[in-house]
Amino acid sequence: MFRLDIAQRKNWQRKAQEFGFKFHTIHGEPYWDETAYYQFSLQQIEQDLEDPTEEIQQMCLHLVDIVANSEYWLEQFNIPQQYWSQIQESWQQRQPSLYSRLDFAYHGKGPAKLYENNADTPTSLYESGFWQWLWLEEQVNLGKLPKQADQFNSLQEKLVRRLRVIANYYQVNHMHLACCQDTDEDRGTVQYLQDCATEAGIDNAFTYIEDIGLSDCGHFSDIQNNKIQTLFKLYPWEFMQREEFGDAIEGAKVNWIEPIWKSILSNKALMPLLWKTFKGHPNLLPAYFEQDLALAKETKLVKKPLFSREGANISIIEQGKTIVQGEGPYGEEGYIYQSFYPLPQFRQNHTLIGSWLVGDQAAGISIREDTSAITQDSSRFLPHICL
Amino acid sequence: MQSTKLKRSRSINLSAMRKGFSAKPLALGIAAICLAACGKEPEQAAIYTDVDDCQNSNPEFAEQCRLAYEDAIAEAQRTGPKYNSARDCEYEFGPNQCQYVSNQSGSFFMPFMAGYMLSNLMSPRGYNYRPMFTSYSRYSPYRNRWIGADGYDFGDYRRKSVRVGKNTFKSQPTVNKTIKRGGFGSSVRAKSSWGSSSKKGGWGG
Repeated sequence: MFRLDIAQRKNWQRKAQEFGFKFHTIHGEPYWDETAYYQFSLQQIEQDLEDPTEEIQQMCLHLVDIVANSEYWLEQFNIPQQYWSQIQESWQQRQPSLYSRLDFAYHGKGPAKLYENNADTPTSLYESGFWQWLWLEEQVNLGKLPKQADQFNSLQEKLVRRLRVIANYYQVNHMHLACCQDTDEDRGTVQYLQDCATEAGIDNAFTYIEDIGLSDCGHFSDIQNNKIQTLFKLYPWEFMQREEFGDAIEGAKVNWIEPIWKSILSNKALMPLLWKTFKGHPNLLPAYFEQDLALAKETKLVKKPLFSREGANISIIEQGKTIVQGEGPYGEEGYIYQSFYPLPQFRQNHTLIGSWLVGDQAAGISIREDTSAITQDSSRFLPHICL
Repeated sequence: MQSTKLKRSRSINLSAMRKGFSAKPLALGIAAICLAACGKEPEQAAIYTDVDDCQNSNPEFAEQCRLAYEDAIAEAQRTGPKYNSARDCEYEFGPNQCQYVSNQSGSFFMPFMAGYMLSNLMSPRGYNYRPMFTSYSRYSPYRNRWIGADGYDFGDYRRKSVRVGKNTFKSQPTVNKTIKRGGFGSSVRAKSSWGSSSKKGGWGG
């Protein structure tokens, strides 16, 4: 695993505009960064990232089965009681999931360590599945990268296929896709999934989460009063379950993407439960529930809220003292503790690897760099190759 | 050997990844975009610029031409691209190509319907119709193209005939009456006091 400098493509900003990639630069700061790339060997990709990703997914599914059927665990995961039976039903039917992103700390050798599972609303999908793919294609054509350079990135191909599988499962050929207002990044992610749905031959329509309506018969509707039958929502289950329309979810009979059983996997309580169940697994970091903190022998711990996103509210605790305090709006729902394990550094940059799952299959990686030890949403996205 | 071990997507249809509307509409129509390639039973459809155009080509179906035109106009109002300002709409569709529309879902600026797509004109089960738009703006990738309400590009606007999937004409089920909106999204508002320091403000992870 190397970090190598490379010349930027001369016209990439114009190309980004042409393809509708609007958030490559955010408030004047680069987000897409092609001044360098990471290079992996095939062995690093397959043995250290691809295989563990699929194995961890199976471990996670094993835990979904335990949690969905246990009132004790559903409570520990802070899932409101009114959704328990919906979660159980959706899991019993094995309603198909679309995608997840596992975040790893990986140093190029030794086991990659799982930081967390973004199982419900992962982003950076477009820049991973399409934009870095195009970068490789063009750099190879320009002769800047060798012809045999490959990339661990079959995201787009797999997303198209998976959406078809989901449409067939629900016997539909139309879906709505939704995200919140005023965010180019989320809108871009959803647009990408619309493109994939189109490629899969599925009719699709966009709606903002805030525009969703409730009809007199209990169905959800879009702004044009079309009934919402199938909905991809880039909006966390744990929010929906605590909002006004939460009560209407059961009666609305929507085919949800992601299905509601994924509220178990997107929850940070998953991390200590993984450790409890698969203690000592090479890809896991020791993790503890608040009430089990006495069991922790580590002197340095990371404290994460059950529902946090993008590094919000994450603190680092050493010998019982908080040494780094991340700000944010989360935490009232409780915390978990994870053994501190540093990200590798490449020239002052802390590097985090996101490893994608489409269904249960590993589908590629994305790389984020940050100057801070906790990856924030300010981190940059860099492409990679496999050689 | 290389090709069987490829770790990346084999190919991506780049032209399908290029983005249409340069100015983002508030709302878009249902995307009914199946072309012959993916629809199970592709069919031939014609595009007419107005009732006369349709009647000239199908004098024996003059009445259907007129009715389909009215249906398409209504559908255009329901599903066509909608903008907050005349400026945004004209940026995409060209000067004087937009109208002010006010109905029960709100007030918007929308492009005029430039034509309508018709198929099965002579079928006893009834014809299929779809409103079509085009752009006169030099800023728009849709300049001189036939486009559907959802932004789907049906090709050069001089084109009169296209092969489309059956889904192209399928209308979506609507609900009887929406009694309330805005029941999702409040967590975002509650947490957005923190959003000012967050660069992107997205709620994905």
